[in-house]
Amino acid sequence: MLLEARNVSKAFGNFRAVAGADLTVEEGEIVGLIGPNGAGKSTFFNCLAGDTLPTTGRILFDGADLTRAPPEAHARAGIGRTFQVPTTFADMSVLANVMVGAFLRHPHRNDAREHARRIVEMTGLRAEQPARSLGTPGRKRLEIARVLASEPRLLLLDESLAGLTPSELQDAIALVRRIHQMGVTIVIVEHIMEVIMTLTRRVLVFNQGRVIASGTPEEVVRDEAVIEAYLGRGAPRQRESS
Amino acid sequence: MKKYLAQPASAQRVSVCLLAAALVLYPLAFSGAFYRDIGVTFLLAAISASAWNIVGGYAGQVSVGHSMFFGLGAYTPLLFYTLWGWPPLAGIPVGILLSVGLAIVIGLPTFRLSGHYFSMATIAVAELIRIFVGTWALVGGAIGLQGPAMSRGWWDLTFRGDLPYYYIFLAVLAFVLIVTFALERRRFGYYLRAIKSSERAARSLGVPVRRVKLQALALSAAFTSAAGSLYGVKTGFIDPDSGFGILVSVQMVIFAALGGAGTLFGPLVGALILVPLQTAANTWFGGSGSGLTFILYGGIIVLIARFEPGGLFDLWHRFAPRVWRRVHAA
Amino acid sequence: MVLIQVIVGGLLLGAIYALFSSGLTLIWGMMNFINFAHGEFVMLGMYTALLVVVWLGGGPAAFGLAAAIALFALGVAVYVLLIRHVVRGPMLAQILSSFGLALLLRYTAFWIFSANFVSLPPTSLAGTISLGGIYLPIAQLVAGLVAITLTIALHLLLTRSTLGSGLLAVAEDRAAAMLMGIRPDRMQALTWGLSAGAAGIAGALLATAYPWSPSVGETFGLLAFVTVALGGFGSVLGSLYAGLIIGLIEAVSAYWLGAIYKDIVVYGLFVGLLWLRPQGLMGKA
Repeated sequence: MLLEARNVSKAFGNFRAVAGADLTVEEGEIVGLIGPNGAGKSTFFNCLAGDTLPTTGRILFDGADLTRAPPEAHARAGIGRTFQVPTTFADMSVLANVMVGAFLRHPHRNDAREHARRIVEMTGLRAEQPARSLGTPGRKRLEIARVLASEPRLLLLDESLAGLTPSELQDAIALVRRIHQMGVTIVIVEHIMEVIMTLTRRVLVFNQGRVIASGTPEEVVRDEAVIEAYLGRGAPRQRESS
Repeated sequence: MKKYLAQPASAQRVSVCLLAAALVLYPLAFSGAFYRDIGVTFLLAAISASAWNIVGGYAGQVSVGHSMFFGLGAYTPLLFYTLWGWPPLAGIPVGILLSVGLAIVIGLPTFRLSGHYFSMATIAVAELIRIFVGTWALVGGAIGLQGPAMSRGWWDLTFRGDLPYYYIFLAVLAFVLIVTFALERRRFGYYLRAIKSSERAARSLGVPVRRVKLQALALSAAFTSAAGSLYGVKTGFIDPDSGFGILVSVQMVIFAALGGAGTLFGPLVGALILVPLQTAANTWFGGSGSGLTFILYGGIIVLIARFEPGGLFDLWHRFAPRVWRRVHAA
Repeated sequence: MVLIQVIVGGLLLGAIYALFSSGLTLIWGMMNFINFAHGEFVMLGMYTALLVVVWLGGGPAAFGLAAAIALFALGVAVYVLLIRHVVRGPMLAQILSSFGLALLLRYTAFWIFSANFVSLPPTSLAGTISLGGIYLPIAQLVAGLVAITLTIALHLLLTRSTLGSGLLAVAEDRAAAMLMGIRPDRMQALTWGLSAGAAGIAGALLATAYPWSPSVGETFGLLAFVTVALGGFGSVLGSLYAGLIIGLIEAVSAYWLGAIYKDIVVYGLFVGLLWLRPQGLMGKA
């Protein structure tokens, strides 16, 4: 078991963004995390990545307890993440961005640069392009490249495929698949069902801070609780009557 | 030759060599006391601004109280001399050590919090030290301290004429720039820029943000302290205002910001422009000149912040491509 | 007896600190922005009072109002022309913008008014009053009481009125506020106006009771920081408590240690706060 999150909760004052969520991920899986907006997925991700301190619960990565560890420690242990709103280093070039990630495992500049160049090529970006001149799809791709350079064992993708054109989406899905084939375990938060159906073999559904369903994508899509979460009460009955 | 110069990297190397040559030859070409004095003032300004640049420009942690390090560096050599008759040279490393210590004391709590806390802390601590030193008789109180009137040897660093000072300062400036250049190219430099851009993203990639910021501040403090020491031994006099005053801090910031904070030569360029300007203002307007200078500084800082935070460096890069294109088309 | 007088005097002055500090904390809580020129706003309020008295010959109510309006306008202008453009940019630009503004305002004031200390000609609030054995200048008493009232009024405005909710909504979640028809830009301009206006009135109140020069801007600016750090960034009520405490500490330090040392105590307190409790008494970190 690579990642184990047990009974994780996060409360902001009286508001419980995450309420007792469990997640286990085996090495080599691709797991999907879906749910309506505000369901707590991003907060849960932030807990897994060390960005937010969980109010209760434990997070174990490869046996090590990372619950209270800062984000830097999570990254060093092998957990990488992307951000829902891309946070590329705008003043630096694409290559320099990726090098920042590469420096984690390659402290010397030439090694880091070589490693970064390979990743930049693999993701189809241009090394010398200033990061600020990239559009949103480019920035999302750069974020993936950058975190990939830090050689994570577990990659948390936070809506990294949103807002892409159909052809860009296919490229992105292919990239994620290639990353998976390199041996990286992936947990992906997405709203785009195509991504979930084609990439993941197991899906968890969040609603109001809890996991309300889990199973294969096909099972989950038919689950009544899930449909209710997205469409509200009365929807299943309407479907029956029509 | 033209082709060689057309490549940006070689053009840069040639420019740097020309600059170095100009700086080395300057006092020999302009041997009047007035010119040498400006030269020394310029070098000192460039050293301080380049020191500030490491933490303020590259790492984006804006200190507006860097005078605290400058003042420590200026006071310690003169204090050693005044109290025990020791050569001021001995006080310089002590000043550096104290400054690094102070940097850590300030950085440890404030780097945990948002950038504004750090900036506020630097103002408050600099003021605190300035007022405190002004009340402490041991270090000269409001009157300040003086250095050796007559030189007992080279270690007193009390030279007649500006020439020795000029070359010592030039050597220190070269050292600061070389160190900055070296760091810029290594992991540390990349981490600094990443922190400036987005601390959150930097953390997620394993960058030890707090440690890197502390290291940058400590290094910056050490260099600033050295600059203060140079000022102290050159002027032979220091008091709370000339050591720890807010104007000292402001100058460092504006020289770096005008030329381009976060660039290697930005502080140099800023000093190159503003030191002659400030000297001119002082000469024309006399005492009130300094008041006018700071109105001007305030205005320039606001304009930089509003229109071109990257300073002249960014401004140049915005217009230069068009200029290059036109030159090549002609 | 003297000690009680010192304490009361300190609290009254502290009330005025609370008033202008609440302006600073408002901007911080609202926009995550520190206005390094806030002390200069107070200083300009003082000079506005002077100019009104000298040119138009008004009383405290007149110049108090004038200072409020003039500084409100200045606050809005500063937001629209400068702050609005830097607030979403790099930290360097943000800090430089208000810091540069502080220098500009301070040294222009030095240029125009010279470094001499001035004070208002005697107003209708001249004289002292005896309360239970202690002697207080009427001006100080009135200034302090007005300051407390206005600070509380500001707090109520923020927490109980629709306008206040609008301001807080923008602070909380700009995008959501926009979806609800609130205009963030307007709210933020208004916040700057209120902040500067509070500083302006505080300045006018100070002018009735104490002498000043352009150098007070720097001192008040730092005092505002210390007060906001103690009271918590974003909390007007916190500024009220903290202002009173700081005024008290300052007065007692001056009494026991001497005037010069009071600054050291106050700044030392600030540094201590940064180490031990940066979120202050009542604020969010």
